[in-house]
Amino acid sequence: MTAKIPQKLEDLPSSEPRWVGKDVKRIEDPKLVTGLADFIENLQMPGMLHCAILRSPHPHALIKSVDASEALKHPGVSAVLTGEDVLKWTNPAMTVPDGWGVYCLATDKARFVGEPVAAVAAISRSVAEDALELIEVEYEPLPAVADAKKALEEGAPLIFEDKGSNVIHKRLFTWGEVDQAFADADHVISDSFRWNRLGANPTETFGVVSQWDLLENSVTCRGAFQSSSHFALGRAATFGLPSNRVRIISHPHGGSFGGKGGARGTDIAALLSRKADGRPVKWIEDRMEYLIAGGGQSWDRFYEASLAVNADGTMTGFKVKLLDDIGATGEGFGAISAAKPLAVFTGNYTIGAAQYDMTLVATNRLPQSPYRGMGPPPHYFVLESLVDSAARQLGMDVSEIRRKNYIQPDQFPYIIPSGNEYDSGNYEACLDKVLDMADYQALREEQAKAQEAGRLVGISVVNAIEPGVFDWNAYSAVGMPGVGVPEGVTISVDVMGSITVRVGFSLEGQGQYTLAAQLLADYFGVEMDQIRVVHADTASAPPHFGPGGSRLGVALTGAILGAAKKLEDKFLAVAAGLMQTEAANMEMVDGWLRIKGVPDAEMPMAAVAGTMLARSDLLPPGMEPCPEATSVWTAPGRAEPDEEGRCKSYLTAANACHVIMVEVDRDTGMVEILKYFVVDDCGTRLNPGNVEGMLHGAIAQGIGAALLEEYVYDENAQPLVSTFMDYLMPTINDVPDTQSAAMVTPSPFSPLGAKGCGENAIHLTPAGIICAINDALAPLGVAAKEIPASPNRLWELIQSADYPQDK
Amino acid sequence: MKPAPFDYVVPETAEEAVSCLQKYEDDGIEATVLAGGQSFVPLLNMRMARPDVVVDLRKLKTLKYIREEDGVIAIGAMTTKREVEESELIQQRQPLFHASTLEIGHLQIRSRGTVGGSMAQADPAAEYPAVALALGMEMKILGTDGERIVPADEFFITYLTTEIDSTELLTEVRVPVLAEGTGWSFQELARRHGDFAIVGGAVTLRLDGGVCTDPHIVLFGVGATPVRMTAAESAISGQAPSAELFAQAGEQGAAELESPMADVHASAEYRRHLAKVIIKRCLLEATERAGGSVS
Repeated sequence: MTAKIPQKLEDLPSSEPRWVGKDVKRIEDPKLVTGLADFIENLQMPGMLHCAILRSPHPHALIKSVDASEALKHPGVSAVLTGEDVLKWTNPAMTVPDGWGVYCLATDKARFVGEPVAAVAAISRSVAEDALELIEVEYEPLPAVADAKKALEEGAPLIFEDKGSNVIHKRLFTWGEVDQAFADADHVISDSFRWNRLGANPTETFGVVSQWDLLENSVTCRGAFQSSSHFALGRAATFGLPSNRVRIISHPHGGSFGGKGGARGTDIAALLSRKADGRPVKWIEDRMEYLIAGGGQSWDRFYEASLAVNADGTMTGFKVKLLDDIGATGEGFGAISAAKPLAVFTGNYTIGAAQYDMTLVATNRLPQSPYRGMGPPPHYFVLESLVDSAARQLGMDVSEIRRKNYIQPDQFPYIIPSGNEYDSGNYEACLDKVLDMADYQALREEQAKAQEAGRLVGISVVNAIEPGVFDWNAYSAVGMPGVGVPEGVTISVDVMGSITVRVGFSLEGQGQYTLAAQLLADYFGVEMDQIRVVHADTASAPPHFGPGGSRLGVALTGAILGAAKKLEDKFLAVAAGLMQTEAANMEMVDGWLRIKGVPDAEMPMAAVAGTMLARSDLLPPGMEPCPEATSVWTAPGRAEPDEEGRCKSYLTAANACHVIMVEVDRDTGMVEILKYFVVDDCGTRLNPGNVEGMLHGAIAQGIGAALLEEYVYDENAQPLVSTFMDYLMPTINDVPDTQSAAMVTPSPFSPLGAKGCGENAIHLTPAGIICAINDALAPLGVAAKEIPASPNRLWELIQSADYPQDK
Repeated sequence: MKPAPFDYVVPETAEEAVSCLQKYEDDGIEATVLAGGQSFVPLLNMRMARPDVVVDLRKLKTLKYIREEDGVIAIGAMTTKREVEESELIQQRQPLFHASTLEIGHLQIRSRGTVGGSMAQADPAAEYPAVALALGMEMKILGTDGERIVPADEFFITYLTTEIDSTELLTEVRVPVLAEGTGWSFQELARRHGDFAIVGGAVTLRLDGGVCTDPHIVLFGVGATPVRMTAAESAISGQAPSAELFAQAGEQGAAELESPMADVHASAEYRRHLAKVIIKRCLLEATERAGGSVS
């Protein structure tokens, strides 16, 4: 039985919400920014050992032997783990698609540089690292597969010999009469694109303390886990344990963005604990480990794509051919980010037919991990670039070709060719608002003047749908089974009326504890500081998933309101008994239980809860003394996909439009962002300041993607990036002041009308920067089609242009 | 990422430090000097540096000073970059050195990193070695036999290697004040503010009778040490400044480079091109600062 959840702010049992929808300071931030949160590195446990991991220096090599005897003799060393142990005690990792997993230590061969080969537990990390130097590994190097194209070559070395090929997954989706649309089109715009590897780089890397209970044969892992219940299942499968023998305790962590994978480190630390008589073993990933072999690499894609366009600018068909380098194994769930674009395949447009030809391959690069946006950002880089090319070819303004193709407000809910349903939106109003804010005409005049002076100044107008509230069905296209993603909470009121809510996720920076407190404070008419939000680990939490796929704000709201409603119903029944009336005659407003229409016949929620716990004699028959309620929310109306992968996957469709002005230095290829305007619409803003924070962070990551970040490998699959001197994150100097404004088109389907907004601008910023660069380069007749648009790459493009070079 | 085991000593004086170094040398023990640690400590943590002993200079407060002596600014080797940045004397008397300081890393790095440390580290992409060469600085080096002075153009030998012997200590950097009427420029082309430059330039010149005289053009980030661009300097000496002349100087300078470095940020060819750009840009700015105008 599910409780009826308010769809609008007005539906809350509050005469005037004081917290929800307001700019509320985040309750979790003081702890996070002062470093006083219990980050995993701060945790000390009695008898704790420290782990260091020996990693393969080879991208592809047979492991002939591992001799750890000297390491084991090193003073301070308690245990050494090798491939022999993991063969005995574990199973290969679960992957999507199935069957591309390996053990947590390389056993037969190493498949990427940085793959763990052995590990040591010692009294300190320093001693553990000293001992690593004493382990002798005999490798027989094999030829490596350096990139996705080479993986497909005839006679390419095989990453998994038993598969007979490096193709992890291949599938062709056709939605509608796409060939007809292309045959009938006045113009077909085609191009190739390259999105180089980049990904999440949270402030804190992954860390864990694992402990094997030898008597109970169970494992407890404390660490920086993003999705603890999901993670627990993976560990149980790896260790061959019943799932209730793995307990995952998530600690607050310094961001994730998808990069907090950590499965191998968790498993290695757990197995070392098992070897070290059950002493807890801590492993803290350092930044070099993270950059070379951690959860930070995503989206390594070659695209060929075409757009069918009529002479009036109407877009009728879109074809995409994707070749994605998933890396050496499927362990990081990289494949699912190739499937996510199905949720937004044709963007904001009424394009009626589409095709997606997807090939995912294994190479000797690091396995891909999830990253904020989870796949659509490169897809929009392709789509929006082609839309701009079409506009250029037709002589239309880039804003007008978009306007001409928008899904209209009266068309919602709107089902796109690839099957997902968009809930609501007003794209033209969003476009007009941002054009107005940017004073678009004046910008174009400014650009014309600059161009006359010989400067390369360009403007982009780009838009995207930001899919919110993921469902597993979105990823069934690559072999991820399941429908529905639960998020549960338990609300308890104690005898003094204080409210505690237990959630299954920990602090990661998104402000969800604040959201929980806002909702409950308004629901029960109390101050926010009367609400306590606590993390429940997998041994005690209700079913949950946690943050991911821009779901938690909406899902948590659903769960909190569902549980609050159940509690309200209990309170109404108890209060009705105390006031000698029927529950149907009662209501709860601002935390007071009262008889409708009878002044002063009321009692506070705290008194009802106190009565329940302290005066069972006064309770209605059959009422348990339990002022507590659990609710588990999942998105309604989800179903399995059809044979072409079509399903309603993401519940909400936020949208945004960005206007960006950049200048490319003709001499150096360096890009300066001159102006940046954003209007975005993510439905009801439950905490507008928090949404704004999400926006600015996502813009920064988008700028990093567009201009700076890249995991470079050489022709032998050796990573050339191992520090932040090579992997360039945007700093405050690289991110411009952004002017932003909101539109609010509530979702008709979600709790309080809120839409997922956790990934937002990263969908659009890379496309927007590249489109602006290409507008700047247009007079030279060249265009950037590779991300990141580094100065070296842009300089080469400018050099290739047929124009008089500057002296 | 933890260092291999090492011994650690903290001498109280420069003389004590030098005698420690001599003793280790005599005993065949490898010792490395630690100043601000901004380059060395990461190398230590990555186990790319594995000295037997680290000699930490943090107690040598007597090597923290900035003072003018007869037209030379003497800077103690343990002076931090932040102290240089905040020194009014340097701002007023040596604006090129000051400007280059602001380009070094970020505030946190400048607050720890020392002047002597940067010179002794001799990173070819670092700012100070290039400025030392452009301004004709001198390095005061202390050994057990006493002090010696080494001019910058003899100091930097190759990648991360200087004239300082393993038993010696750099104690002072001597910077000539910028002569009245000297035009200067310090510019970098970097992926981000605070990064090591892909290519950077430090330039001084004077204008006498409408022509460029005494040009010093130094590039960094392009080779194993900062490089004095002598061909480019000759190309403009005695010539009236013009955009065309400076572009030519850039061409000559770029051609002069032996084999520019290549890394993930920039190919050798791109670096060579940027050398051209930076020479021209620095010359234009220096000319303007010298009170000249460019035709």
